[in-house]
Amino acid sequence: MIDFLLTVIIVSSISAGLALLLVLCGKYVVNYGPCKITINDDRELDTEGGKSLLAGLVEQKVFIPSACGGRGTCGFCKCKVLDGGGPLLPTETPFLTKEEQEDNMRLSCQVKIREDIKIEIPEELFNVREFQAVCSEIEDLTYDMKRFRFELKEPSEVKFTAGQYMQLFCPKYKGNKEEVYRAYSIASDPKENNYIDLIIRRVPNGICTTWCFDFLKQGDSVKLNGPYGEFRMSDTEAPMVFVAGGSGMAPFVSILSQMRNTDSKRKAKYFYGGNTTKDLCMAEEMKAFEEALEGFEFIPVVANPEEGNGWDGETGLVTEAVQRNYDDLSEHEGYLCGSPGMIDAAVKVFKELGMTEDKVYYDKFA
Amino acid sequence: MKQSPREKKLEEMLRSGKLVAGGFMGTDTRHPIEVIEQDVIELENLGVTTHQLVKRMEELTAMAKPRLGSWIDDPSGKLRIKSEDFKGVLVCPWPHPGHYEKRITTVQHRETGKQVVWTDLNIHMIADHGFFEGRGAFFRIEPVEIVELLFEDLT
Repeated sequence: MIDFLLTVIIVSSISAGLALLLVLCGKYVVNYGPCKITINDDRELDTEGGKSLLAGLVEQKVFIPSACGGRGTCGFCKCKVLDGGGPLLPTETPFLTKEEQEDNMRLSCQVKIREDIKIEIPEELFNVREFQAVCSEIEDLTYDMKRFRFELKEPSEVKFTAGQYMQLFCPKYKGNKEEVYRAYSIASDPKENNYIDLIIRRVPNGICTTWCFDFLKQGDSVKLNGPYGEFRMSDTEAPMVFVAGGSGMAPFVSILSQMRNTDSKRKAKYFYGGNTTKDLCMAEEMKAFEEALEGFEFIPVVANPEEGNGWDGETGLVTEAVQRNYDDLSEHEGYLCGSPGMIDAAVKVFKELGMTEDKVYYDKFA
Repeated sequence: MKQSPREKKLEEMLRSGKLVAGGFMGTDTRHPIEVIEQDVIELENLGVTTHQLVKRMEELTAMAKPRLGSWIDDPSGKLRIKSEDFKGVLVCPWPHPGHYEKRITTVQHRETGKQVVWTDLNIHMIADHGFFEGRGAFFRIEPVEIVELLFEDLT
């Protein structure tokens, strides 16, 4: 019996020792040395091997969208790795379609730099910057939605296109030991370069929205990076249908500001849905846009108006209001921002009314 | 309770806030395996299998989903349900590929006002891991409460 126990203890100790040795070697002995990241066959960045591709890029101020801080849980930080990325890892496959895998797409947070590496990223990502800012205003829009204004300090100016989004850095706070980034559409006028407005809706138990609603105060320093995203108004003259709910309001405030700045005559109807009248917001601002833009109409829609509050606007789901207002959308363009469910439902309605998929624009962030 | 390295790693993940604010264990000091065992036994004692429970949860979520966050009544008229979705995904803390839309379903009893809330990830964790989350976790589901609400005839 004693022999048996002794054998078990010896074998276990040897195994534990070897495992420890491997970990220590990985940390202190294995040295991948200097490596090069070649981007788009054009730019070369020098870095030290051993870190993730995402970390290597961020270190050189090249920002790829990432919400989870590099833990491989959001699937945002995709980029094409042409050479030197090593084999695809099981942690990546859930986030990559078969086509993406065949096209050498990888999650940059999971790719370790062990040698020179060649990647491709969209050129627009070179315009992404990290901003130090101060939260200068917090405004309640509804019971679960706020507008935050961030005055930019370093750099003090941003250039963005209406419809794009920023990533807000959420630090550790009481009850949350993790640092994350979360994407929010810009809700400010693109001609205002010194600040960024974000409209944020509280997500129950959400890591970043809990920080924004319960911890972030006026005067606090914050960190953002961006702008990101392809969601923007096309340069055609096609009439537009905007559909949004909740914080999906944000990019449309920016797009409407841009239309006002350019004195756009383009026709646009904006259907904004809420479950009750308490979910609606920014009625005054929308009225001001209606007055400034001759082709613009704002149509708030309430799914379940409270009894006796005198609501005489559109009722039902926001998609039902679209169906009531149009017989044919084949000549229109559709712009959507809101929950994934709302976007899916609106795309379906658009298609039923004759809009082709290439004329539907949205940013689901996921 | 002795844990394998794999179980230790899982417990660390469940207690951390890496995937959801505050983690999945709340203030529960029990080992996750104990939490799972005790909840599954409690469910069995209530006369419901995890399969039956998950099927009912999925039915109710599917019923409410097309209403985009508005309340609807279930066919019995005793319950009202809403299902809201948010941007982003929730990732299963177990070591397998699995991420779920950030959808929150709320079921409320019309007369008593009692309600239970779950995410799509809760449904998966109950179905595949028997995990109802630790006590004090934001989305902890008490077996007795959900059975009382969704299987009124049994209680």
